[in-house]
Amino acid sequence: MAVHYVIDAADVPEGGRVIVQVGGKEIGIYRIDGQYYALLNYCPHQGAPLCAGHITGTNLPSQVYEYIYGHQGEIVRCPWHGWEFDIKSGVSLFSDNIRAKRYEVRVEDGKLGIVI
Amino acid sequence: MAEEFKIIDADVHNEQMDSAFIPYLQEPWRSRVEKSGVGYAYSGYYSPVGVMKKDAIPPGGGKAGSDPDLMVEQLIRPCNVEYAILTGVVYNISATHDPDFAAAICSAYNDYLIAEWLGKHPSFKGAIAVSTLDPAQAAREIDRLAGHPDIVEVIISSAARMPLGQRFYHPIFEAAERNGLPVAIHPGAEGAGSSTPPTAAGYPTRYIEWHTCLSQMFMAHLVSIVTEGVFVKYPNLKLVLVEGGVSWLPPLLWRLDKNYKALRSSVPWLKRLPSEYVRDHCYLTTQPIEEPENPQHLIDLFNMFDAENMLMYSSDYPHWDFDDPRMILRKLKAEARRKIFYENAKKLYKL
Repeated sequence: MAVHYVIDAADVPEGGRVIVQVGGKEIGIYRIDGQYYALLNYCPHQGAPLCAGHITGTNLPSQVYEYIYGHQGEIVRCPWHGWEFDIKSGVSLFSDNIRAKRYEVRVEDGKLGIVI
Repeated sequence: MAEEFKIIDADVHNEQMDSAFIPYLQEPWRSRVEKSGVGYAYSGYYSPVGVMKKDAIPPGGGKAGSDPDLMVEQLIRPCNVEYAILTGVVYNISATHDPDFAAAICSAYNDYLIAEWLGKHPSFKGAIAVSTLDPAQAAREIDRLAGHPDIVEVIISSAARMPLGQRFYHPIFEAAERNGLPVAIHPGAEGAGSSTPPTAAGYPTRYIEWHTCLSQMFMAHLVSIVTEGVFVKYPNLKLVLVEGGVSWLPPLLWRLDKNYKALRSSVPWLKRLPSEYVRDHCYLTTQPIEEPENPQHLIDLFNMFDAENMLMYSSDYPHWDFDDPRMILRKLKAEARRKIFYENAKKLYKL
């Protein structure tokens, strides 16, 4: 495990994401409510550039014909086939077993470090 | 994998703004499109994913699939595509109401395709679109353009007013056979305009139902085409079922063959089991390939029909349910893979 400091924290806007190159990997760094999250830019389905997907909210599990919109800004939807992933955990919304690779992010002296 | 095989992609959607057709339209259609656009009929089903693959929208603006250079960069080069069959989206015009307007739009598109896409890259081959609203005009359009060296197919919409095997549509099949071109059938406008409801049960509520049930349309058209004797009347005709799914085929043919044994006298022109006509005349494109939890189940299913000689790889670029050739059907044996990703299309399209 090594921490790769790649970018200033201030360069990731609240609610946005920045894609960085770290050790040959493309990683998307997201900022949600001041916290930072990192996902590999690779969808586990067919290898799409996951982090090119829109950051969105979604309809949460609900009763029939009930719509509960939530997790605004916490979901990334793959730009190819539309699979939804929780940015914070990397877990897909249809199966706990389908996950985007996530990395821990450290903040130190205003720099973001990705733990790989 | 991509490095080992050259690929032929049997379904690539080039798109354009409606205004691209204006130079290719005669009056009165030209001023109509200038004023009001083409005016396709849409099914009205909303998808939260959208139809377009989000990374295929050209950086300079315009529709996904409208920039030949981006298509080469995103699909042709990285996926090792030797030939891409450009299928457009204009076959959807058959769901509108005016047969003369639909025929004019198809002709304009076909001329635009030839002038502005084919020849832009050596991999580009074209499917000419014809409207099913007036099969006699469609046949004339096929005769007009079939001789172009880069035209390899005729494409029609699976959204239609009637089952496509009925005699009303035979002039299209006759013209395609006469000109040595396969006929491709493609979904998209199911339930729109003048077409039938999109499922056998009627109009569903949501896109997830609409999209899943598109296979029903293909089942109904295929049974119609076989039993109406299209392959008996046109023994050299080849049919390509594009984007309609694959896994439904074996059980449908089991049921049809079983019924044929009892009900043969109602279709006495069929001299062989219906499944044999399908095997000899039909191809199915792979995308969107079914993805069972256990990938072996799909391979097992392929063993229930002549999959390695009947399937052709397709990506559906730049649409949302795009299949990457490097990521699908990895469990196939090398020979089947070579046939499905390359040789079957090379033979069918005489490439």
